[in-house]
Amino acid sequence: MRQFARVGITLSLIAAIAATALAMVNAVTAPKIAAYELQVIQNALTEVSGGFALGDSDTETGDTSVSAVHALKDTDGSIAGYILQLNGVGYGGAMTIMASYLDTGEVIDARLLANAETPGLGKKAEVPAYMEKFHGTGGDTAVPQKKDALEKSDADSISGATVTFAGVAKSIAYGSDFVKSLGGK
Amino acid sequence: MATERMQVLTKGFFKENPVFIILLGLCPTLGVTTQVINGIGMGLSVIFVLVFSNIFISMLKNIIPNSVRIPSYIVIIAAFVTIVEMVMHAFAPSIYQALGIFLPLIVVNCIILGRAEAFANKNTVFDSFLDGVGMGVGFTMALTLIAFIREVFGAGTITLVPMGSFDGVIEIPLFYTYPVRVLTLAAGALLLMGYLKAFFEWNANRKRG
Repeated sequence: MRQFARVGITLSLIAAIAATALAMVNAVTAPKIAAYELQVIQNALTEVSGGFALGDSDTETGDTSVSAVHALKDTDGSIAGYILQLNGVGYGGAMTIMASYLDTGEVIDARLLANAETPGLGKKAEVPAYMEKFHGTGGDTAVPQKKDALEKSDADSISGATVTFAGVAKSIAYGSDFVKSLGGK
Repeated sequence: MATERMQVLTKGFFKENPVFIILLGLCPTLGVTTQVINGIGMGLSVIFVLVFSNIFISMLKNIIPNSVRIPSYIVIIAAFVTIVEMVMHAFAPSIYQALGIFLPLIVVNCIILGRAEAFANKNTVFDSFLDGVGMGVGFTMALTLIAFIREVFGAGTITLVPMGSFDGVIEIPLFYTYPVRVLTLAAGALLLMGYLKAFFEWNANRKRG
């Protein structure tokens, strides 16, 4: 009995000391991490806006795949399109994708933000040029969601990371349909 | 005594290099070495975790009951890995993003648990500290060497930390235009690892005579 108590107390003490140390480090790093994450989202919004001005934002979308909708405004103040913050699933689990669309659902641009994809393979989707294969799709032409729907050079660029591509493409296609359902409202 | 301590420190560099001789921690070794900065970042993270986990495990070796030593080691190692993760996310976010899933996976890196079990729980705190530094530096040297060869020949660049007007990327003229692309892929990493392992084996055999 004493042996069990000794084991339990030792493990509890080690866990308590570890938790205290982590809480202290978290208190210092959490505000910096939050500020960095906000900056990343702001940068992504600017990068994918396609030259349009940012309008109102809505984080109450009622859709688990779309966590935020930001309106894009034309020079006359009318709605030109939307930027969606999309929740996708890749090889490493949850991914956040920021994608912009014209109000017809046509993709303007996109960026892969938070993700746990494999360095050297799926992580290549973070490079802005990766998203060029989606530009102009979603309107008259469908968003490519399979490797054989891509040009050869684009298909080569996703070799070894087709699950990441499928996750990104599925989210972007979903976003396109979501924008069409908004109907410029 | 000083010679023995020097051997504890330096054995991880070449003689018992964790990557090329003991073949530990190969997943992150092959996974993150696409850029030099990733290799250095991963190596420094492992040095931090290895040194502090070795120190604490050596300090607590007479307190931790033998029956629960592995769970205790995992809690200690996981705490240090989480600290590295939070600090890197806050202060070096680009390296944090680049290392991705391999950073939290340091918890189950064979080098860390291996040194805790094989060295730190049998030796003094100072010797465990030296072992952690030596093995960590050996791991970092291996990652940096592999990343350097893969990036220079495979992409024609050397990626370091951006400073002032320097964007952190050095372009190597010939290989930037005509890169050996296979080296940036997983297959290239395995091929290179095989050649380097063969070289280190040959070198070790040559020294043994």
